[in-house]
Amino acid sequence: MRKSLKGAGILLLLVILVVVPIVDKNTYHHIVLCQTLVNIVVVTGLNFITGLTGQMNMGTAGIMAMGAYSAALCSTKFNFPIIVGFIVAILMGLIVGKGLGYPSLRLKGVYLSLTTIGFSEITRLVLTNWVDLTGGTMGVQNIPWINLFGNKLDTSFKIYYFYLVIAILVTIASYRIIHSKWGRVFKAIKDNVEAVDASGVDIAKMKILAFTLATVLGCFGGAMYAHMMGYINPTTFTQDLSANYLAMMMIGGIGTVGGSVLGAIVITILPEVLRFMENYYWLVFSTIALLFAIFLPNGIVSLFTGNKLLKRFGRTEKSFKGEE
Amino acid sequence: MTGQIILQLIVSGLALGFIYALVAIEYTLIFNSTGLLNFSHDKFIMFGAYIFAAQFLLNMGVSPAIGIIATLATMFIFGVLVATGIFNPLRNMASPLFAVIGTVFLGRILTEITRLIWGATPFTVPGFLKGVVRIGNVVITKANITVIIVSAIIVVLLQIFFNKTKTGKAMRCVQQNKTAATLMGINVAKNINFTIALSAVICAAIGIMVIPLFTVDLTIANMIGLKGFAAGVVGGFGYLPGAIVGGIAIGILENLSTLVIPTLYKDCIAFVLLIAILLIKPSGLLGHKK
Repeated sequence: MRKSLKGAGILLLLVILVVVPIVDKNTYHHIVLCQTLVNIVVVTGLNFITGLTGQMNMGTAGIMAMGAYSAALCSTKFNFPIIVGFIVAILMGLIVGKGLGYPSLRLKGVYLSLTTIGFSEITRLVLTNWVDLTGGTMGVQNIPWINLFGNKLDTSFKIYYFYLVIAILVTIASYRIIHSKWGRVFKAIKDNVEAVDASGVDIAKMKILAFTLATVLGCFGGAMYAHMMGYINPTTFTQDLSANYLAMMMIGGIGTVGGSVLGAIVITILPEVLRFMENYYWLVFSTIALLFAIFLPNGIVSLFTGNKLLKRFGRTEKSFKGEE
Repeated sequence: MTGQIILQLIVSGLALGFIYALVAIEYTLIFNSTGLLNFSHDKFIMFGAYIFAAQFLLNMGVSPAIGIIATLATMFIFGVLVATGIFNPLRNMASPLFAVIGTVFLGRILTEITRLIWGATPFTVPGFLKGVVRIGNVVITKANITVIIVSAIIVVLLQIFFNKTKTGKAMRCVQQNKTAATLMGINVAKNINFTIALSAVICAAIGIMVIPLFTVDLTIANMIGLKGFAAGVVGGFGYLPGAIVGGIAIGILENLSTLVIPTLYKDCIAFVLLIAILLIKPSGLLGHKK
């Protein structure tokens, strides 16, 4: 019964995602929808390291910036085909993941959040100041449209369906990973590090793996963003953006694919809906997010599957207090 | 000539270094007593600066001395409020992730409130701690001297507070073992509220001191907030003397770095140092193990 309900929910969501851009012809709305799909990809990645493994990644903006700039510069400065740009973005994700993960994830504690913040800031500073390569605050302009087997995806309507396919593939892959051996180790690291250690799993290696998954998807999402907008500049990739991704993950529901997707949809579209409040919309939005953190930390998903998650939440809370 | 430039850079680096050290102390206090990183601390600093400069000095026109006292008092009350309303509930959550996200959004709410009350236009405070002092060939701004002296005083006062007073000792107990502290008759929740309020007061002091160094705007404390985090790790995470050493090291090093690398990249030094320290000596410069 529950399973068929879940299936029906997913199907309904899919139908909505396919139909909305056909019904709603507004180009601006199409861009917001494309942005939603990019966010789904990035949040699904972030979910591996922060949601499942429980290590705080605060540098999503910097990671996305690396991906966006790699893809954009490959196709504008060096005139490579677009596919090369995407591959370079993925490679960049691997490098960032290993490079940042190695120093900060070997140690227990909050170091990853601090190094990722640092990385994000360095990236932004370099992108702003290395004018010869990145164009500085002017950004990279005229990033070409994606060319898919001879079909130029030159409106956000066309790109939307291409990205929808990518987002679905990423979501399925992520669901498979979460329910594989990797996913179980990730969750175990969050719940009880000592037990994982005792089972002979190399914790540092698994944490770095989870982080690399996040950075690869983050960079890939960045590349998608660059080709969708056609213009990028460093001021997009600030701490605020990183915080937004965390909010998406939490408001949807930490640790689940459904939660990441729901969160990405809600948080991308909510500010647009709240725009009628003009001066106050950002304040209202932030307040909603803060209230979620305090009163509904397991997110929207926990409203549907309430019992199970709440029970788990209660139990970990007890064990957490017992440690003190 | 070069020697003089180096000396000049060291002195102004020392002033900024003390600021970073204070930032590191302020978040280490909260981390030690609650196990949470306060990611809104830079917004606390910004808020303090706005209350002092925009509200008390420019809007109400009170004298700086009264303004400082009123700001510190306001921030103390503010600290108690956020501690009861936000930090204490977040502290008891199953995962520290919620607390991180909670504090990040608290920071954003503060920025928005500040923008709505005092506006987004950057401004300066004319005549507040302006002017220079010459010692030999070295020119030091009054603001830098004030920062160095006041920070040193705050550091010493904190040491006395933690080692001599009952409340300070209780705070150290709570940091080490909450269950035992409860058994000894310490009200842990109240104690944590006080720690956070103290941290908010230090934030306000930092905010007031950086007013003459920068233009007052909504992002005034972003960089010093981040570098403060780096300072804590460089010196030794969760260890107050380490925070001081780390802060001063970063302040002086980044100023000296302008001799070798373009000034634009000066802000990267702190973060490069952070990653280097994690690779080479994760326990920090002082090598303190918790």
